[in-house]
Amino acid sequence: MNVIRGYKKDDEEGGKSGPFQNLEKSTVLQEARAFNDNVLNNKKCTLILTKILYLMNQGVTLTPAEATQTFFAITKLWQSKDITLRRLVYVSVKEMAKIANDVIIVTSSLTKDMTGKEDQYRGSAIRALCVITDNTMVQAIERYMKQAIVDRNPSVSSAALVSALHIFQRGAVEIVKRWVNEAQEASTSDHLMVQYHAIGLLYHIRKHDRLAVTKMVTKLSRSGLRSPFGYCLLIRIACKVLEREERSSNNMLYDFLESCLRHKNDMVVYEAARAMVNLSNITARELQPAVSVLQMFLSSPKAVTRFAAVKTLNRIAMIHPDVVTSCNIDLENLISDTNRSIATLAITTLLKTGNEASVDRLMKQITSFMSEISDEFKTVVVEAIRSVCIKFPRKHHILMTFLANMLREEGGFDYKKAIVNTIIAIIEENSEIKDVGLSHLCEFIEDCEHIELATRILHLLGREGPRTQKPYKYIRFIYNRVLLEAATVRAAAVTSLAKFGASCEDLLESILVLLERCLLDNDDEVRDRALLYMEVLKQKQKSLSSAFILNPISVSVVGLERALLAYCSQPNDDPFDIKTVPIETTPYNETPKSIGEVTTGGSVIKSAPVASKHDIFVEQLSAIPQFSKLGPLFKSSDSPVELTESETEYVVRCVKHTYLNHLVFQFDVTNTLNDQLLENVRVEMEETEGFSIISYIPIASLPYGQPKTAYTLVGIEDNTIVSGTFLNTLKFIVKDCDPNTGEPDDDQGYDDEYVLENVDILLSDHMQRIVKPNFAASWEEIGEENQTEGTYALSSMKDISDAVKQITGFLGMQSCERSDQVDHNRTSHTLLLAGVFRGGHEVLVRARLAQTGQVTMKMTVRSKDLNTCELVAAAIN
Amino acid sequence: MDVFKRLATWLGITNKKATVLCVGLDNSGKTTVINHFKPPQTKSEEVVPTIGYSVEKFLISRISFTVFDMSGQGRYRNLWEQYYPETEAVIFVIDSSERLRLEVAREELHALLEHPVIKQKRIPICCLANKKDLKDALSDVEIADKMELAEIADDKPYNIFATNARTGEGLDMAMDWLSEQIMTIK
Repeated sequence: MNVIRGYKKDDEEGGKSGPFQNLEKSTVLQEARAFNDNVLNNKKCTLILTKILYLMNQGVTLTPAEATQTFFAITKLWQSKDITLRRLVYVSVKEMAKIANDVIIVTSSLTKDMTGKEDQYRGSAIRALCVITDNTMVQAIERYMKQAIVDRNPSVSSAALVSALHIFQRGAVEIVKRWVNEAQEASTSDHLMVQYHAIGLLYHIRKHDRLAVTKMVTKLSRSGLRSPFGYCLLIRIACKVLEREERSSNNMLYDFLESCLRHKNDMVVYEAARAMVNLSNITARELQPAVSVLQMFLSSPKAVTRFAAVKTLNRIAMIHPDVVTSCNIDLENLISDTNRSIATLAITTLLKTGNEASVDRLMKQITSFMSEISDEFKTVVVEAIRSVCIKFPRKHHILMTFLANMLREEGGFDYKKAIVNTIIAIIEENSEIKDVGLSHLCEFIEDCEHIELATRILHLLGREGPRTQKPYKYIRFIYNRVLLEAATVRAAAVTSLAKFGASCEDLLESILVLLERCLLDNDDEVRDRALLYMEVLKQKQKSLSSAFILNPISVSVVGLERALLAYCSQPNDDPFDIKTVPIETTPYNETPKSIGEVTTGGSVIKSAPVASKHDIFVEQLSAIPQFSKLGPLFKSSDSPVELTESETEYVVRCVKHTYLNHLVFQFDVTNTLNDQLLENVRVEMEETEGFSIISYIPIASLPYGQPKTAYTLVGIEDNTIVSGTFLNTLKFIVKDCDPNTGEPDDDQGYDDEYVLENVDILLSDHMQRIVKPNFAASWEEIGEENQTEGTYALSSMKDISDAVKQITGFLGMQSCERSDQVDHNRTSHTLLLAGVFRGGHEVLVRARLAQTGQVTMKMTVRSKDLNTCELVAAAIN
Repeated sequence: MDVFKRLATWLGITNKKATVLCVGLDNSGKTTVINHFKPPQTKSEEVVPTIGYSVEKFLISRISFTVFDMSGQGRYRNLWEQYYPETEAVIFVIDSSERLRLEVAREELHALLEHPVIKQKRIPICCLANKKDLKDALSDVEIADKMELAEIADDKPYNIFATNARTGEGLDMAMDWLSEQIMTIK
């Protein structure tokens, strides 16, 4: 120790040149030969060992041969009785154990030290011993470990418990399980750390046994622990249990959490409060006690306590702002806290909970120290502003200015992305501020180093720009991108320009000139895009520009690639049919997120071009010969339908697949009886009008616990019938078998059947959602001549927003132009839906809803296929 | 003990240190032999099979011994050589009642002697025919014969002693011889 201390002093005096600077591995290893001397120099050895450890921790790697040689040299240091040296030896042994061979040789030396009289050795020796012992050798040290766990010396006991946990996690589960009694004894220790470590080990041993964990928590919580660390751990365990099961069924654990709020140790109280906040589906009233202890912490003299409290309150404010309102006065005091992190969190919390009048003042406060806080906290501020925007629409102006200022300042990608997302969200929510927002974004892309953000903004400009009052003022910004930026951004800018050309006739001439200039670009993609758009725009046909510029094809990229590959691999004179390509599935819940729910990242989910669920189904189904001739898979139902109760003998789930003229029902069957082997399992369906059963594909053999799949192929006979109900029966041959081996007792089985729930086929099974960014253009493209109209009274729906949800779900179509967002104060609403019907027919629906007592709807359906038009219209009845 | 040591140092008689390697087949009694020489308060009460090695220090006839007590189990025997370079004497313990494995012991001893590091060293080899109290134990002469001790090179002094490590019988004589050899070689 003296040596190290001495060098530390040198370090301080000599500035940066430490004693370990510029060490060479080979020289140090050479020096390590001193360990072999017959007369050891303790000080010298200590220094050399420190050097070796320093090198290893700097990332210098030793080869196994070097490590082994050094390791054996180190083993000779055991003859020295110097405490510092010996402890360094333990550390080095642990480090070397990862690379050197035959480290097991020090086992006896370590066991001697861990059972010896020198307490300073014992803990470290145990830790080193457990590192060098592999799972097959654990048995040899079991006796010592058991003794050490219950040792009177807390450092020894702790070391043994922690090491036991390491061994356990390394896989020697069975042996460590035998130490549970010793661990139990240690958990009653008076020493805080020992108790904590013992609980940790006990939990890990029982982790997979839910009942045992619950029992342990209740027992320990009742008996009371001395260790606050133990309490914290217990709280976390309790939370895990609570998360897994219904809370109502385990009130005892919940009461335990609540009782911890009254513990005398701050740490325990905070942990309990935080745990309660993190519980899913906790109500505002249940949070009250947690909030009041956090409120107390707000005035704590310790900065870390204040920080913890305000951070947690900030989280609560996102879910239950009302509960936090009571803390407003205390939070106000923290605004001027010298710790900027605390101040930021306090202000952002206040923004979420405060009233409209205080927004201006708070914003001014933030501005004053915005430059002093890190990106991470700036992002927190942005998130807070986002939620304020929804609460107080009238404050848009000040908030937008603030965001624009932030955008101009320095910051990393995530931070900028959060700002851009927030601005976009605000623009979408509130059309008054659109102009201002767009021009801020324009200014931002003038000097934006992030390609992803630039393309995103260009896309947004292309969509929203033409609809503003002065579209021409954005052109300059967009064209600047064509001149200045990388190829990806240039291509996006060209597309954006074309959209202006397609939407605003008075700009068309200028756009054409600009696009012509883009033809000289040196990037292929940019030139191709410009040429295509120019030709399309020159035609001056609404339907053309709608199809190619405003509403581009919406097929799944992976699907397109697959279809093109298949097309190219076989000689074929027919032209490629884009309708055979599966349409990009938009997850149902991805309807533009209301900015009310602030996600932590604030990012909009992007569908990455990876194999989707659809592609997986395509793969599975095309592997079955009977299905290979059905054509491309059009649609699969979103989530499997349960045809049985979840806890019955057999569990059956159904997924519906739609082809051009066929339906395939996929039944995932699980046998939950371990004494039965099922054979020839199939789901028999009763035919219904318009549909005929073609074939069954049974499961040959269904052993216990392994889900397998049976299919039923159904033909669509009548194209005017889209809905129907099928009665299903699960039929199979049962063979009794040995629960342990799964071998059937005899070859003779008997037939049996099991009645399942019905499966409904609805219009939505024939419909695929698509997104039309410019609905009006597509609407015009199909034209008035292809439409049907009808007026309906929707007596079963209680209000407009309910109706919007139900109609969208029923038709299985995608809402466009944010028409799924219903203003609650209005009595009328227009819902715009787009979809593709089986066979590739595009369908658009405009539903005008009005509420006068009950909801009435005037629905217009347009599709180039009249049959589809009528089917959709008829389905509403 | 401590007082003697200090006195001896003062008089300038001691401060001779010797590193000794104690090897032999498993269950031949190496650790028990070493245990006998340890001062009473540090003696271990029960002896368990050594895993790897352990290092012990004690003082006998003015020589401070540092003994590396190696494990004799098959899987560790190849590790002995790691400690050859520093050693100044070898104690080879043989279980004289175990006739069957005497041949194995002979091979191990000669492999040790043939090892390049040991071969070029001039160090004493002290064989202990341990467990002489057991009734089917061979005599030290018989063992010397079976172990082919006569073939040990001339530069290495060797000797064999019949011992009983549990009671300590014969051990002191062996150590006296060893100390003498170490003193004369140095």
